[in-house]
Amino acid sequence: MQNIRVRPFQLTSAHVFLIAFVSVCAVGAVLIGSFPLQLSIVTIFLFAGPHNLMEFRYFAARMPVRWGRSRLFYSVGIGGVVVLTAVYLTLYFASGNWLWSLASWQVYAAVWNTALIVWVGSLFYLRGKQRRRDWSLAFAAAFFLAWLAWIVPQYWSLALVYLHPFVAMWFLERQIRRTRPEWLRAYRLCLLSIPVFLVFLWALLAGQPNLPQDTNLFWRINQHSGAEILPSISSHLLVATHVFLESIHYFVWLLLIPLVDRRAIPWRLKEVPMFANANGIPKAFAAFLVFSVVVSVALWFGFAVDYTTTRDIYFAFAIGHVLAEFPFLVKML
Amino acid sequence: MKILITFIALMMFAGSAVADIPRPDTTPKKSAKTASIDTHLDIRLRRDAKEAKLILSKAQLNQLRAEIDAIDGGASDTASAGVTGIQTIAGGVLLSLAMVFAGVWFARSGRVSKPVATGLIVLAGGALATMVYANAGPPPEARSITGKMFVQGMHYYKFGGGAIKLEVSAEEDNPVLIVPDPEEPKKPGEE
Repeated sequence: MQNIRVRPFQLTSAHVFLIAFVSVCAVGAVLIGSFPLQLSIVTIFLFAGPHNLMEFRYFAARMPVRWGRSRLFYSVGIGGVVVLTAVYLTLYFASGNWLWSLASWQVYAAVWNTALIVWVGSLFYLRGKQRRRDWSLAFAAAFFLAWLAWIVPQYWSLALVYLHPFVAMWFLERQIRRTRPEWLRAYRLCLLSIPVFLVFLWALLAGQPNLPQDTNLFWRINQHSGAEILPSISSHLLVATHVFLESIHYFVWLLLIPLVDRRAIPWRLKEVPMFANANGIPKAFAAFLVFSVVVSVALWFGFAVDYTTTRDIYFAFAIGHVLAEFPFLVKML
Repeated sequence: MKILITFIALMMFAGSAVADIPRPDTTPKKSAKTASIDTHLDIRLRRDAKEAKLILSKAQLNQLRAEIDAIDGGASDTASAGVTGIQTIAGGVLLSLAMVFAGVWFARSGRVSKPVATGLIVLAGGALATMVYANAGPPPEARSITGKMFVQGMHYYKFGGGAIKLEVSAEEDNPVLIVPDPEEPKKPGEE
């Protein structure tokens, strides 16, 4: 005789995580779909600065005091972040001068994009060498992507805007593998729910009229989400999609990563090798942390005084955190 | 330390100063209006014509120019469209590099068995043939402006085009399209 054992359902932390994630996304999709411009303004005001701070704190916890065998990787990684950020800011702020024609500015931008892509390819290659694997295919992929960046620059830039939020989700996946493997299945279900919400948003918003562009700020938000590059698609849909993905990005950095990695909890400074290790640089680290907090508060102040200008300046400097994500993400592979 | 603080302060002020410089507006300015005038087109098939010609009336051209000036002050937007030469060169170099690196990686990876290599060659050949055939143009009659464009057999394509010379003439009142219509060389025995 065969015994059938019925296992009672037990609500685990992974279930709670899944339910909370899907619920937050559902509420977010409805709110953002209804008020895309307003939510764009609010989310950037509230979370832009703090999420940068959290990213810096997370990377600091992952940065070893002695680079050892990873010296070349970190040198290329950190050096690339500094150089590419400096060149980007130069291009951004100097592009309005009378010496540069629009055509030359576009060429400089394409060269910068090529440098970025080849740099990321190099990081993959170096990481492959550390793992004793041949990841030189990364260069082929990098050159192919650089070709796209030259031939269709406007679509390339737009793709970066929409793909950047997914980098946070990739970080979370790598982190869950390390510190909360029992949540991995639930997290994958969470990731699968995102396309469902996007399809839901697109189905509802595809026929909506375009959002207003009567103020400089509204025009900027529309332009950022690609309303001018994709004029045949409702800008309501584009802005809502972008804000939805950006909100998940903020949600991941501010809440989920500290939840799965105790070392990322901001006030646990003893988990940061640069601060707590005998060979670390505690004063420099503390000074930079305080500076970052001041910048976050200054951003709130700036947003309150002149939202549009502060938003422009923020997105120019935000390239630094976008670039810093690559070395740490590749190192986790 | 003082020097460091001074430097950071200077950089902060410099940043806020240059932040006022506007970025160039990369958006191509497209006017909702288009310049147009109503006119009449004459199409003339000429046996003696050596090339296709579109003759524009000078008076109408001036009228059209005035319309364009009224819309955008006569600014040219020809540079805003298409792929520039430098884009093509850089794109070609990068795509070639991508193929070279992919090929080297594939060869070095040691995963290339004979059947796989044969399959890849067949696939690449098929893709190339598809690209070639997909890019094959319509018959020559639809690609040159001649009298043959108007024959029944060409109606299937519903389009046609070819090199044309634009001319401005003070003698014509309306635009005229001159279409060469050379006589077919007589086949032997047709006389």
